[in-house]
Amino acid sequence: MSGSVFWALVRKDLYLMRGLVIAIIVAGGLAFVMMGFGRIGFAVGGILFLTANMAGGIFIAMLSVLTERVKNVQLFALSLPISGAQYGRAKLVSSWLTYGIPWGALTALVVLSLLLSPEADRGMVVYALMLQGFMLASFSVMLATLFLVRSEPLSGIAILVVNICFSLFMVKVNQPDIMGLMRTDNIIWTPFAQLMVGGEVLVMIASLVFVLIVTSRTRDHV
Amino acid sequence: MSNAPPTHAFSLRDLSRSFRYFRLDGLNLELPMGQIMGFVGPNGAGKSTTIRLLLGLIGAEAGEIRLMGRPVPEQVAEAKHEVAYVSDDMRLYPGATLAWHMRFVASLFPGWDGSYAQALLKRFNLQAEQRMGGMSRGEHMKAVLLLALARRPRLLVLDEPTSGLDPVARHELLAELMEIVRDEQRSILFSSHHTLDVERISDVIAFIDRGRLVDARDKESFLERWRRLQIDIPEGVTLPALDDVVEVSPEGRLARLTTSNYQPALHGAIERAGARIHEVQRMSLEEIFVASVMGSRTEERT
Repeated sequence: MSGSVFWALVRKDLYLMRGLVIAIIVAGGLAFVMMGFGRIGFAVGGILFLTANMAGGIFIAMLSVLTERVKNVQLFALSLPISGAQYGRAKLVSSWLTYGIPWGALTALVVLSLLLSPEADRGMVVYALMLQGFMLASFSVMLATLFLVRSEPLSGIAILVVNICFSLFMVKVNQPDIMGLMRTDNIIWTPFAQLMVGGEVLVMIASLVFVLIVTSRTRDHV
Repeated sequence: MSNAPPTHAFSLRDLSRSFRYFRLDGLNLELPMGQIMGFVGPNGAGKSTTIRLLLGLIGAEAGEIRLMGRPVPEQVAEAKHEVAYVSDDMRLYPGATLAWHMRFVASLFPGWDGSYAQALLKRFNLQAEQRMGGMSRGEHMKAVLLLALARRPRLLVLDEPTSGLDPVARHELLAELMEIVRDEQRSILFSSHHTLDVERISDVIAFIDRGRLVDARDKESFLERWRRLQIDIPEGVTLPALDDVVEVSPEGRLARLTTSNYQPALHGAIERAGARIHEVQRMSLEEIFVASVMGSRTEERT
């Protein structure tokens, strides 16, 4: 029975966040289309695309974990027949799905466009996956932090740190010696790209494991 | 676990939990099935902490908790199938309507009583299609109560449900609660610092102060045992140490004596000492609560 409550909580979050999920997909999709209109369109669209991805992740993590806790909606959820640890795991799954859906849709849009468009450099698929991987890793770090940290200022600092890391990441991947290797028709997984994507996957797994440990050991759920 | 139905809605044994500035200390409390317990204490006494421990929302450092016969926190999810919890600071999803909340809760509880929910909707004068974010505090609390009651729980835990409500909303809410209490055979734990609210609906009263249980017994016993005596103590007369006398304080030319276990034999003891009794007064639950807490604090200091 607790299993059905678990999935009911997951479905509930997906339902309540549906507007945000659609907004991220629409905003990211429009930004991507904009990227096809010349150099300025590419620059502005690119920034908007990344912003939709990053801001979407922040909003989902904040609304899903922090707001529910701060506004005491959590008390209602915890009054249902579920343990605190099960509630934490349901929240983890629903948050991942809520971000995973728009993230997956936008990643697929970019990758498929690069693969199918005759004018595109197919090698940029690696660049796109590095970027999108960073987004997902950033989201998982923010989510893990919000599970651990209970104060709003500390949560804000965590989000700020993730954003600074993203800026540094962008500076690094846009270096000509890295970017230049990807502007080809061949998909080449350079050692740097392999290291980056591998690191991103590791960060995601570590964050997930961290949250699972925290939720199973947490004694106080409110 | 045996299949026999539990005899108690909950039981707490030697329950302890420390925070930085507060300690719940060795709490023992139990509620037999079918009874309504008023859980009374000043702000910060430990009422909400006790309830949160009971429901496994926070963890205990020591002691044993059983909820609907099941150990907490190990089987709290199973126990909560039969328990509904309402707290004054509990909020519903602001972007969703009450109708959505009703469907959501109904999907989780096979015992959800749809017709009762509709009746409560009407009685509470709530609009099912209204979003929770647009509801007033009183409406919000009624909505939370509706979601709890329509589940037909065997134990209803109400943590300060009238706190922060305006007098009209508070009166409405209590009136509905009284109606429900009359109609239903269920156990209720009702926490409040409003003794009048508690006195109206409770069978059993438990007083808590500074994290310690001061007293717990049935309401009638409280009201029967506690008395306040106005006595005249002439100069030079000293009252002997009397059993169960909580307080003796001057009141104009007379003295006021408060006892937690009034017996006619007390008259003889007072008069033998040379004092004279003017009047014996019954005490309200609020007066008993204050005297009980003050007595406990004095005892703690000495």
